[in-house]
Amino acid sequence: MECVVQGIIETLHVEALEILLVGLCGAPKQRIRVHELCLKSGPNLVSSEVRLLCDLAKTTPSWTIRHVGGAMRGAGADQLSVLVRPIAESKASSTALRFFYGIGYKLDHEVLKTGFAFQFQNRGANLTVSVTSTNRMPRLHATDDAVPITPGIHLVEITAPAAPENYTEVASAIASFCEYLSPLLHLSKPGISTGIVPTAASAAASLMSSGGGIKIL
Amino acid sequence: MPVKWLMHFQPNQGTTLTSQVMAEACAVAESFPGVSRDGRWRSSMTFYRAVPRDQSLPAPSDLPRDLIGISLHDLPNEYLFVMRSQRLILRAHSSVQTVMDKLQSYKGRFFINFEGLQYKWGDFKLRIGKCLYNPNEALRGIVMEVEYLPLSSIDKSQRVMEEFYEIWREAVASKLLAGQFINTEVNFVEYGLGDSYTPQHTAVLYGMCVVQVIASSNKNQ
Repeated sequence: MECVVQGIIETLHVEALEILLVGLCGAPKQRIRVHELCLKSGPNLVSSEVRLLCDLAKTTPSWTIRHVGGAMRGAGADQLSVLVRPIAESKASSTALRFFYGIGYKLDHEVLKTGFAFQFQNRGANLTVSVTSTNRMPRLHATDDAVPITPGIHLVEITAPAAPENYTEVASAIASFCEYLSPLLHLSKPGISTGIVPTAASAAASLMSSGGGIKIL
Repeated sequence: MPVKWLMHFQPNQGTTLTSQVMAEACAVAESFPGVSRDGRWRSSMTFYRAVPRDQSLPAPSDLPRDLIGISLHDLPNEYLFVMRSQRLILRAHSSVQTVMDKLQSYKGRFFINFEGLQYKWGDFKLRIGKCLYNPNEALRGIVMEVEYLPLSSIDKSQRVMEEFYEIWREAVASKLLAGQFINTEVNFVEYGLGDSYTPQHTAVLYGMCVVQVIASSNKNQ
């Protein structure tokens, strides 16, 4: 299970966001370069969708198989400012793509996500803040030639693992952390767009001139 | 990772495999000088079938019918899939079983456990086990896994494994077991596997061996 919020930021403010996150985190960023392949079962199989993530940031690419379940629904879920959903993941060998083709899955689409991430501990929850550009490939699997789908816009996502017994606390931890980022961007449940924050430009300018003199959590 | 061979017991024609063979095979191992019992072992195998979108129809022929999943005794945090028809292996964290459950496109249809006794004999580890259908525990075969600890190269270990195999065959014959152990022969290159032994090699061995065990069991019933 995981809790997640998303928001967008103009690419020209990403550097300022990074300064803010470095100040909050106190640890170096992790580079993100993930080739994400979305596979869907063929017409003969029970309908299902699976994602294969190939981490290209390291010297040796590593693969993860990921299944994302439907968002939690109901009055309790509606009251939360974060989305809660079941997640199943597994590290796998590089034969993962051939394997799913072999059992009847087809490639629906693929993207390359590039950017960076920071890890935080907030109120006992392990938060990952990722700032990424989503890129499409002009030819099959051509990650070296990928171009941004939305030039000038980056996606910011905060995710945290959760369990049935603690997801409300994790949701609160994410919500409170979002306050630190509010001068630059607003984050909300995926699918609910809040657009670009009007104060972003002035907040970014302030961060760039202060050069990281931010209190660390 | 040390090299392994995998053998299964082929009963003489007209004889029925019983648990007594397991006891006799263990007695052969225990007769080797310097051998010591080293606990128990258990691996398990799941045979998967595709779940068609229209479940009133049989599974389409273009979907694999030989997908098996294997949990090995010496890798409790991992799970391997083998598709012999496509010479394909997937090695993953054991949580991949949860992913497959969520996808619901393939379900386990029947299950086999391999379980028995483990022995240490010099640089060798021997695992003799029953091959049991789950859950009724019907005996389908006897297998023996032989591991040579000092070497991970399949080529370099070929000679010493062949020598062990001859020693084992002679010992089994001298104890008058009603059959013999047959080694599982696999062309690992077809599976994209190299000379350095890995869990993927073991998965392929089990995938081939179980086919022979089931065929032998069906013939002798």
